[in-house]
Amino acid sequence: MCEKNAAGAPAIEYRDVTKAYGEKTVLGHFDLSVREGEFLTIVGISGSGKTTVLKMANGLVAPTAGQVLVGGRDVATCDQVALRRSIGYAIQGSVLFPHMTVEENVGYVPNLLNGRDRERTRAAVRKWLGIVGLSEELLGRYPAELSGGQAQRVGIARALAASPGILLMDEPFGAVDEITRAQLQDELRRIWRETGITVMFVTHDISEALRLGTRMLVMSEGRMEQCAAPAELLSSPASPFVERLVERERRMCRLPGDELANCPMSGAAARI
Amino acid sequence: MDVIQGMIGELAGNAGFYAGLALEHIQISGIAILIAIAVGGLAGILIAEFQRAARPTLAVVNLLYTIPSISMLGFLIPFSGVGDVTAVIALTVYALLPMVRNTHTGLTGVDPAIVEAARGMGSTRLQVLLKVRLPLAGPVIMAGIRNMATMSIALAGIASFVGAGGLGVAIYRGITTNNGAMTMAGSLVIAMLALAVDALLGVVERRMGMRTARARRQNRVAAGVAAAVCIMAVAGAGAGVLLAPGSAGTIRIASKPMTEQYVITEMLRELIEDRTDLTVELTQGVGGGTSNIMPAMESGEFDLYPEYTSTGWNLVLGEGGVYSEDLFGELADAYEDELAMSWRGMYGFSDQYGLVVRREIAERYGLRTYSDLARVADELTLGAECDFYERPDGYDALCETYGMSFGDTMDMDIGVKYEALAADQVDAMVVFTTDGQLSQADAVLLEDDLGFFPSARCGNVVRDEVLEEHPELGPVLDELEDTIADDEMARMNYEVEAEGADPADVAHEFLVDRGLIEEG
Repeated sequence: MCEKNAAGAPAIEYRDVTKAYGEKTVLGHFDLSVREGEFLTIVGISGSGKTTVLKMANGLVAPTAGQVLVGGRDVATCDQVALRRSIGYAIQGSVLFPHMTVEENVGYVPNLLNGRDRERTRAAVRKWLGIVGLSEELLGRYPAELSGGQAQRVGIARALAASPGILLMDEPFGAVDEITRAQLQDELRRIWRETGITVMFVTHDISEALRLGTRMLVMSEGRMEQCAAPAELLSSPASPFVERLVERERRMCRLPGDELANCPMSGAAARI
Repeated sequence: MDVIQGMIGELAGNAGFYAGLALEHIQISGIAILIAIAVGGLAGILIAEFQRAARPTLAVVNLLYTIPSISMLGFLIPFSGVGDVTAVIALTVYALLPMVRNTHTGLTGVDPAIVEAARGMGSTRLQVLLKVRLPLAGPVIMAGIRNMATMSIALAGIASFVGAGGLGVAIYRGITTNNGAMTMAGSLVIAMLALAVDALLGVVERRMGMRTARARRQNRVAAGVAAAVCIMAVAGAGAGVLLAPGSAGTIRIASKPMTEQYVITEMLRELIEDRTDLTVELTQGVGGGTSNIMPAMESGEFDLYPEYTSTGWNLVLGEGGVYSEDLFGELADAYEDELAMSWRGMYGFSDQYGLVVRREIAERYGLRTYSDLARVADELTLGAECDFYERPDGYDALCETYGMSFGDTMDMDIGVKYEALAADQVDAMVVFTTDGQLSQADAVLLEDDLGFFPSARCGNVVRDEVLEEHPELGPVLDELEDTIADDEMARMNYEVEAEGADPADVAHEFLVDRGLIEEG
């Protein structure tokens, strides 16, 4: 049973994992250990292998060499269907099922798990809809009738509806405006704090990654450049690549409004 | 305008006839459509799931589709006989391509990101198919079904060519008896059926796209009702098909697609049903004539049909040489011994080949006999039906006997010959001596000065098994012996073809006239 964690084991572990498609190596000798309850953000340019890493956690992609373990058990030996139902999945924005209502979308995995027990599914759907801050009147609506922000929230609710222990996200807040995006980031962070869920979150937005993650993984060409807490990445970038990546962030000012003028490199300090 | 009036009159006057044909038409095409949806849909789903099988499967279905429908029918006859089964098989084959293709296209066209999301969330392959792919492919598949249904209904018009029912019966009968109104009426009803079905499916398509809760409930109820109706209809049709052959008191009579055969078989029907307790089931106008009827006779699908002595001698028994009536005894014996069939009730008239030329040609070249024709044949075009070119006593022998060689030849169905002659598409034509339209045609019947064409007396070929099983049948057939002379048959043909009379009415009048049936 791969849905339950072996005691003390890391939530997700990659041991010397390689993934190659013919000649092309997408991931090379990759090692990573994700602790339970971590919020790991993953950044890197396109093609650096970040989505592959994510998809290996629920068996959508199998490694060419090495092992991927979830809860201490090798993913390759697990019942893939059962494993996936125990992992929240919100990849490439929310690809909500256009022919299903919000209720049916969010209730998708609970439905698969609860079968005939409609009441349990209904309860789960309403609970999570509330947690992501959506009104119950949206239950009967179709994705086409939702705003961008609403759709993203439904996507999150759908990924969490079965109360999984792990949440995999890949650019989930892609297509919304800055303000809504900030709100969604806050809500995700709140949910994470309240549930203790392990999150793997891929994004190309550095500031988002730094803001959300307890640890941030920087990837380049299928290799890990650095994996550390945001503060450490900012103060001690391990390679020129990482340095370039966090360049702008380092110049951000995090002082309160009245002390902004004290920021050495920020535009708020400019004086004519 | 005349034709349209004639068509409306035809529909109004024979509403029951057309309604019956329409029902048969719906049954035949309906069964084919349902099978195609089931088999084609399943095939489409399978090749969408197992991509490697897609190309070869689509290639095979494509190939089947390119076979002309008439060839397909002809190809099936040795396996499934004449009648509804062959028609349904052929229609199903043609309906498969749009169904398989559209199902496959619809399924593979679903956004892969959505499919991956369903997979990533823990759906089994079947769940992905049923919950996500099929619903999203719905509109494309539905469009395919609409296409396929309309096409099948239209195509079912040719089913009558192999003795199946449906509106093609009216069309084909109209063609072979020179009754344009009937042809148009049949075509019109087919078109109306196709449009009605398309509209109905359009409603279904739209309702499928409706996403409100109330609509979904209504749709579910409607689907249940429709499924129940379909099952009942198929069960009814199936029962009909199963029960039909093998009913103890039924005589199955076939006729070639010729006016005089329509008339004769109607006479037989009326007389047999009047004199005995037997029921007669008529399959009129079986395309291909003897070549398709005889196999059905041998397999017991038909019990009786009117045939001509020389055709029996040359085409069926395969004897070489010219047939003359002094060989009749041998003919009858051979049928008994080899085929277990008898010649019963020789009507008296002879419908044999003759040669005519357009009057204008006759005058231009001064033609009175076949030998005269032989002199100028290389400048002329000859028209005849394919039987004539194939049989040993036909075209080749004629040309050899008279030293003729025609400039060009045309293959024509019996039904359209006289139109071709009138349109100057042929100069000389092979006709039958009892052709009704012969008296109308602006043509001259030439003299067979060397006595080439064999005698072709008409009589019934009937299976001995049937005669034994129903001893009351034989005497009824004998009652019509020597009752119709050449010119009388030609007159009756003329009434049907030129005056638009119903063959059943003409037959009835004849029987009354001869005192064989009471008036009324």
